[in-house]
Amino acid sequence: MKRTVVPIGPFHPILEEPLRFELHVEGEHVVDADVRISHNHRGMEKMCEGLSYDQIPFLLARVCGICSASHPMAFCNALEDLCGCEVPPRAQYIRTLICELERLHSHLLWVGLAGHFIGYNTVYMWAWKYREPILDLFEKVSGSRNHYENHRVGGVRRDIPDEVFPAIRKTLDELEPKAEMLLGAVIDDPVIHARTKGVGVLRNVDAVAYGVTGPTARGSGVNQDIRDTEPYAAYDKVDWKVVVQPEGDVFAKAAVRLLENFESIKIIRQCLDQIEPGPICADVRELPEGEGIGHAEAPRGETFHYVRSDGTNRPVRYKVRAPTFVNVPSFKANVIGAELADAMLIVAAMDPCYSCTQRMSLIRDDTRQQSVITHDELLQLSWAKTERIRRQC
Amino acid sequence: MSHESVLGCVQDTLGELCSGIHVSSPQRIYVDVPPEHSVRANRLMFEKLQGRLATATGCDARDRVEVLYHYCMDRDGVVVTIRTWANKPELRLDSVAPFLPAADWIEREIHDLLGVVFVDHPDPRRLILADEWPEGVFPLRRDFPDRVEKPKEASAPETSRSAKP
Repeated sequence: MKRTVVPIGPFHPILEEPLRFELHVEGEHVVDADVRISHNHRGMEKMCEGLSYDQIPFLLARVCGICSASHPMAFCNALEDLCGCEVPPRAQYIRTLICELERLHSHLLWVGLAGHFIGYNTVYMWAWKYREPILDLFEKVSGSRNHYENHRVGGVRRDIPDEVFPAIRKTLDELEPKAEMLLGAVIDDPVIHARTKGVGVLRNVDAVAYGVTGPTARGSGVNQDIRDTEPYAAYDKVDWKVVVQPEGDVFAKAAVRLLENFESIKIIRQCLDQIEPGPICADVRELPEGEGIGHAEAPRGETFHYVRSDGTNRPVRYKVRAPTFVNVPSFKANVIGAELADAMLIVAAMDPCYSCTQRMSLIRDDTRQQSVITHDELLQLSWAKTERIRRQC
Repeated sequence: MSHESVLGCVQDTLGELCSGIHVSSPQRIYVDVPPEHSVRANRLMFEKLQGRLATATGCDARDRVEVLYHYCMDRDGVVVTIRTWANKPELRLDSVAPFLPAADWIEREIHDLLGVVFVDHPDPRRLILADEWPEGVFPLRRDFPDRVEKPKEASAPETSRSAKP
């Protein structure tokens, strides 16, 4: 059968950064895949070498527009590993609270987009509507809807005023039934089952070999969550459980995220119950020479940071590894054999961030006999498949 | 298992391959492994001790480039780092990607940014640098200049109407 190359990207709305996927298809089926990254490398590791430790968290918050608390969190873990300072309990609860609110808003964002990709635009509208109050909470808590992180070495930069706590509780009370409804909408719908069950299966052995993290790993039966294995902030003081699904398909990854919403709500409520007045930052005056490693569980998986210090106020080397860097290569293991109409869903199930603008256009390259598929065409393919299944049901 | 038992396992498994074990805190173990034993040590970490390769860090240390493979022992909450190195000027190091797909991308990244040549890498194409980036220029090296002149374009396209005189 004739083999056709379908390039997706580099600019594509389902991708965190400009990424380029090349799918080799025979008929409807994907037979080979290749990924090319770094069309927009920002050189942040190099920039960190020129910034002081007080400035770096501001830069790291901008590594990702959606997980803007996770990277500073991993930074703090790395630096606190290096200098061994004690973080005051109130700061730990504030960190936990912000990280969990982040997980909630990120997972709801994903649920909405996943709904959009399979042609359930109502789910998309609902999920984003329920996400909105969380962004409003961020504004109350930190003054900003988007870059809401306030981590610094030894604690946090600003306190959460006590009068905001009832507002957080109220938002959570309103969100919980909505999250249950979303879960029900996915679990009970035969069309969603048909579109996602058995699709894009990442086997447990591949998940281990590729070292994937976060819901991508937990959806393949890998019991791995940094909040559990190496509890940072206040995760060891609250009661919650790691959500693991063994199947490895798109449905399992969706289920992990939908169920994690409830764990996040549970964690935030406990933080609100347990938090007590006190100092919010330890006094860290000097950082010793040496190395530090810190990691944190972002909504998409583990963020891993390494710092090497020579005792001055700037790092000699700062390494950042975002979860998508390890999750995307596993695409090669689970897209081969899939249908083209499912390819978009399989990429989306890994949840690479969605911050890019829709900038695809149809180009036909006559010299290389390649046709470029547009985002809309791919979306139409996916929607048509859902419609077909819906009629059969 | 506990933190101490991980240290014990690492000492038993990698004892004869390593030139030193450094424990900075109960949850952070650094193992110095000479380059000739790097592949064996990494294979043991992945296959025998079931570590998850989180990532690797390349770091220019003047006369050599250090490559640190960070393994997370997820059951115990310990990070074991295999510290190996490639000596200048050849900068050659055996690749661990043939048996460990998780190392594929990060070794390509270290090659792009620091110039370490990973021998037997299954897919040694560029990952980070653009295709038109000149050969032999590595941005994370210590001797990389702070300011680099942008290469001249053959014919600069007119970008906006207002730019016209």
